[in-house]
Amino acid sequence: MAGISSDVIRGYNDTMILYILLENPSYGYEISKTIRQMTDQKYLIKETTLYSAFSRMEKNGYIQSFIAQPDANGNGKKRTYYQITELGRQYYEEKCEEWFLTKEVVENFIQKGAEK
Amino acid sequence: MNTLKSYLESMFAKMPNTREVLRAKDELWQMMEDKYMELIAEGKNENEAVGTVISEFGNLEELSGVLGLENAFSYQPTGGDTTQEAGIYDRQPLSFEEAKQYVDELVRQGFFVSIGVMLCIFSVIWPILCETFNWSQALGVTGMMLFIAAAVFLFVYSGIMVGKWDYIKKGNYMIDFDTAKVMQNEQSRFRKDYAVRLTIGIILCVLCWLPSMVIEETALGRIDQFENMGAVFLFIIVGIGVMMIVYSSMTMEAYKQILKINDIRLVSGNYVRASGKEKYINPTVETIMSLYWPTVTSVYLIWSFLTFDWHLTWVIWPVAAIISGVVKANLTVKE
Repeated sequence: MAGISSDVIRGYNDTMILYILLENPSYGYEISKTIRQMTDQKYLIKETTLYSAFSRMEKNGYIQSFIAQPDANGNGKKRTYYQITELGRQYYEEKCEEWFLTKEVVENFIQKGAEK
Repeated sequence: MNTLKSYLESMFAKMPNTREVLRAKDELWQMMEDKYMELIAEGKNENEAVGTVISEFGNLEELSGVLGLENAFSYQPTGGDTTQEAGIYDRQPLSFEEAKQYVDELVRQGFFVSIGVMLCIFSVIWPILCETFNWSQALGVTGMMLFIAAAVFLFVYSGIMVGKWDYIKKGNYMIDFDTAKVMQNEQSRFRKDYAVRLTIGIILCVLCWLPSMVIEETALGRIDQFENMGAVFLFIIVGIGVMMIVYSSMTMEAYKQILKINDIRLVSGNYVRASGKEKYINPTVETIMSLYWPTVTSVYLIWSFLTFDWHLTWVIWPVAAIISGVVKANLTVKE
């Protein structure tokens, strides 16, 4: 994850998590693994970062947690799953809008490999 | 995996014992465990897996906001501030060696005290022997006093030896997860021994009158000198029984002492909750009960020396123990 400043990306951790939850409920490690795979190993979210995002978003009503017990065959283990709420979907949309705007604004000042 | 568990426990050890904190710990553990399992499944060895998980764990300060612990990480002891809230964040860790030595010293004290108590009980045998065999009374008194003096020496000596660890009781200390685990294991290993020794001790005390009954009921009773020997055997048996009870109880207490160092208000108090301390329901009862055993001892000694009815006065002990048991059962609450 060389090159990514955690200050910059912090504002978008929530967006990434919510995106993953749009389809299915998921749990901590699965979410962090998905983020790593989707970003081609470029971004690795720390456990504490992930948990603080969960905790904050749950308080704000964007996600809900539930405990999944191992199934009758004893497969899987007891895990906390998170699922997105209606409010969370709205928030996700807002964050996407915000990103387009941010990108548009910042892009004006970016010149890759260019010389002055 | 144990390394990871210890790592997480030590990170959380000083955190206050709240629902939010425990939940955070639990969920972080789920994630760490999942990640570890997957790394192992990918063919990493244990060290690599542990290293990766720890390096990617992050920083607990990040959680201070969601856990409502903004002050926990920036807390600086201010010297004058002795509020309880402040106290829980500036605990000193006690090293494993210190904890071990402390427990060993307490166990040793238990041994010395139990021998001392036994000598006190044995001391009354001297006057009886002197009376039986017509030795001089001076010898009886001297023997008795020597035994008591030896006992007092053992009490004082062991008290002073343990005294050097007083700072542990007074200071703000905690033991880490691994130490607590080792101590807990030792305690549970000792538990069987404890039960056996305690039972034998109690049986000896209960059956102490057996020799004197046998002597009275059989031909031995008709020999003059055996008449008093029943009492001698009684004291020997009671002495050994009490010694076993005191020694085993004090050894058990030693483990409890070290395990209860961790405060219940801290997360680290969770892994010692099993040894939850019993408290009297109010301070008055606590004060009265703290004087209980000294009072019983004084009554025992005063009554005994005034009447010299040693063969009767020992009854105080079992009676006192029963009363204490009743009081404890009714007037204490688990913390």
